[in-house]
Amino acid sequence: MARHQIDIWGEMCPIPIIKTQRQLKLMCCGDVLIMETDHSCTSRAIVVWAREQGHEIDEKEVANGIWRLELIKRHN
Amino acid sequence: MRNKVQIIYKGPWAYWVGAVVLAILNMIVLIVREMPWGITTNIEAWSVWLGSNMGLLHDEGITFKQLMLSDGTYLNMGVILGAFWGTLAASQARFRHMKNRKFVISALIGGLLMGYGARIASGCNIGLVLNGIASSSLSGWLFTIAVFIGVWLGSKILLRFLL
Amino acid sequence: MEKKALTSQWKLNLGFSFFILMLIVLLLQVSIQLTLLFAVSLALGFTLQKSRFCFTSAFRDPLLVGYTTLTEALILLLAISIPGFAIVSNVAGILHLPLSLYVTPFGIHTFVGGILFGIGMVMAGGCASGILMRIGEGFAMQMIAFAGLMIGAILGKYSLPYWRANFGEAPGIFLPDIIGWLPAVVLQLLILFFLWKVTRWWKRKLNGVG
Repeated sequence: MARHQIDIWGEMCPIPIIKTQRQLKLMCCGDVLIMETDHSCTSRAIVVWAREQGHEIDEKEVANGIWRLELIKRHN
Repeated sequence: MRNKVQIIYKGPWAYWVGAVVLAILNMIVLIVREMPWGITTNIEAWSVWLGSNMGLLHDEGITFKQLMLSDGTYLNMGVILGAFWGTLAASQARFRHMKNRKFVISALIGGLLMGYGARIASGCNIGLVLNGIASSSLSGWLFTIAVFIGVWLGSKILLRFLL
Repeated sequence: MEKKALTSQWKLNLGFSFFILMLIVLLLQVSIQLTLLFAVSLALGFTLQKSRFCFTSAFRDPLLVGYTTLTEALILLLAISIPGFAIVSNVAGILHLPLSLYVTPFGIHTFVGGILFGIGMVMAGGCASGILMRIGEGFAMQMIAFAGLMIGAILGKYSLPYWRANFGEAPGIFLPDIIGWLPAVVLQLLILFFLWKVTRWWKRKLNGVG
């Protein structure tokens, strides 16, 4: 149950998802990945994508226009 | 119940809801404007006016009054202000910085290519992909295929330089 | 990170709403058509922001990350728009109202322009409408991209005659003129249906492997 964190701050749309995908490959099942972004499209895209892939994800707005995403890897 | 009301102004809407609403609004624009929605024609007029006023281009006879009375100006301004209104309504408005210098160059080159491409093809994603196809015009379909190829090339550049 | 608080921006919102109202009242003095268009485009911007609808993502993400939800939404948008435009255009024809659809001449430059536009929108992180929407959201990157867009538009305007003279161009082809309204609409809907099937297949293929 390790906790990972990647820096996707201020990056434009496709890069955060690519980084997430690459990080997910390195993680084990049940690991948590934490991301923070101010890009509404990015946060939405990651949430929809992760749910489609069958991972568990929690989106929370921590400040005005800043979202914190917690992704739990569910399968390999 | 409160959650359902909140999602209207707070978002995010599902993508298909956005598609349906956009389709309806786009048709209203067609009816009111008597021609389809377009973006870059107006941007071109503004930049030519700006350029000729700064003395970089020779005068094309575009006046400020003409620009302020053209419907494209209000369409573009409305999209910017409407999006800002949307973020304010959801209390998400803030100035969003970019990560580093690389993105400045990428944005500038990307914008340049986009403006050039849109003007020689006489339309952008809205003008040719959405409204060109919706108007059953063959150039809309051609442009869409070309954009798809361009996006594929652009993705290669992105993976190579920006990641 | 905990010091960032979630505050309501209703005061700003109220002020901005008042500003918009004043603009609409001002515009009403000039022309009712412009006011209506302004109101509709406000709604368009609001919808684009709220649904995070992004044309760039619809084209790019199936290839780059294997994410097709937005592509399907774009196909739905087109599938509604084609019959919608056909109905509006025909009704306007019956009522003898002036209404023109967007049928442009095409040539090599349409294709080259499309490719450049595609590369540009991936690099700038948004197409023309996406850039306008993201300026409203407050992204610094898209403000710079907008400056690039303006310069590019000037360059494009002055090089279009060159493209036309050297490569020629065919007059715009309006499909209903050739095969009639109903077959044209049906044909395009069939193409869209086929594209939708292809995206579904693409998604299954990627998810099956990955």
